[in-house]
Amino acid sequence: MSFLGFGRPKLSSEEKVAMAEQELRMLASMHNRMTKMCQTKCIPDYREGELNKGESVCLDRCSAKYFESHQKVSDIMQAESQKRGPAQGGAMF
Amino acid sequence: LNKQEETLLQQRLQKRQMKEFLTIYSNLVDSCFSSCVDDFTSKTLASRESGCISRCIQKQMAAQQRVGERFQELNAEMTAKMQSQ
Repeated sequence: MSFLGFGRPKLSSEEKVAMAEQELRMLASMHNRMTKMCQTKCIPDYREGELNKGESVCLDRCSAKYFESHQKVSDIMQAESQKRGPAQGGAMF
Repeated sequence: LNKQEETLLQQRLQKRQMKEFLTIYSNLVDSCFSSCVDDFTSKTLASRESGCISRCIQKQMAAQQRVGERFQELNAEMTAKMQSQ
């Protein structure tokens, strides 16, 4: 999470905590979505109560790919908003 | 963040974690119900449905744990990369 450096304004204590909280919330949200998504993609049924080797490896790969996708989307969106120019006030992700 | 801000953040996170836990719990119920329960000729769970639900919970918790571990690793990796840039 970076701020396109137009010089940092002084933030109040409350704002700093709120920002930190927001960032952590985003991470938690990503964690939850990743878990849900990878379970859907990798776990077809509940005939067994334990993860088998295939499912485990699938979960590992799914997590890595999800993370990479998240990065990619973030990079592309940033590039897009920079192309449009700072006047357009790109949305914060 | 200074000490005071740190404490405030921790308090807020704790509250959020409680909420988070309740959400996870209810999602678990919903998803296992939806995958396992399909027989409404009776008002009690059939033994196969009951078994399915137990396995479902076990499996989902195992999956959550695994994904959680991968997430931590990937996050740490990304943070390290960002810091070295």
